[in-house]
Amino acid sequence: MTEAATFIDLRFHRDFYAGAAIDEAVKVFARFGEFHLSEAPDAWCVRMRALRPAQTQRLAHELANYVLGVTVQRGGAT
Amino acid sequence: MQTAYPDIPPGLVAHDLTSAAVQLQLDTTLYPLQAIYGAAYIFIDRCYVFLERPQPDQVRVVLTAKGGQADAGALRALVGEFANELLSCAWRHQITLDNRVLLETVTMQAIAGAMGQPSLEDLASFDFSDQGFDDPLGIALSWEEKHGKRAPAVAEPAAAGPSEPVATGPDAAASGEGST
Repeated sequence: MTEAATFIDLRFHRDFYAGAAIDEAVKVFARFGEFHLSEAPDAWCVRMRALRPAQTQRLAHELANYVLGVTVQRGGAT
Repeated sequence: MQTAYPDIPPGLVAHDLTSAAVQLQLDTTLYPLQAIYGAAYIFIDRCYVFLERPQPDQVRVVLTAKGGQADAGALRALVGEFANELLSCAWRHQITLDNRVLLETVTMQAIAGAMGQPSLEDLASFDFSDQGFDDPLGIALSWEEKHGKRAPAVAEPAAAGPSEPVATGPDAAASGEGST
């Protein structure tokens, strides 16, 4: 995770995280913050910030946990 | 992140007290990804878990305390419990791989048994005439086919000539045999 200004950049490696899980998590957390999705050759990238700036770090952690949980429930990244 | 624990080999575990995070470096040849998933899934209600790929054959697991504050002892306990759970998951994963054929066989038999017995219509339409194997010794033949009464042979005419030795002598003459 990297933090610049009020945004946090999350890189979910494609080997570990399912893209569909990220989409699902962003939909769930959309009302708590602002999310921008992009792709890198080896990762799914999420640039985000919370509506309350003090909650951005916590929102990033919660989002990552949610993505991991959905990925495991789906049986893996593929 | 800085290495902090003397009881753990250097380079495997590092913690950061300011962010209340500890990271664990894993070799994927020792711990399969399914085991890492299993341990991480158990811990996502206790801490924040994030997976990274520092090198092609390694996984970095970052555990962050949910309260936002944790001392070195708490982080050491957290990563130790995670490592124990990871080892348990890896072992159970190996057992599952070893018993996969057995599990599939039992499951298939259970599903086949749940389908119930075949109905009379199924039996009536079943093709029993299928010859799926060779039977050179005639083991599959029925008793009647193998040892049943044979059809009577056609009697040969008497004029065809003697086929048995003809008795001669006084006994034969007394009994009337061997002479006409």
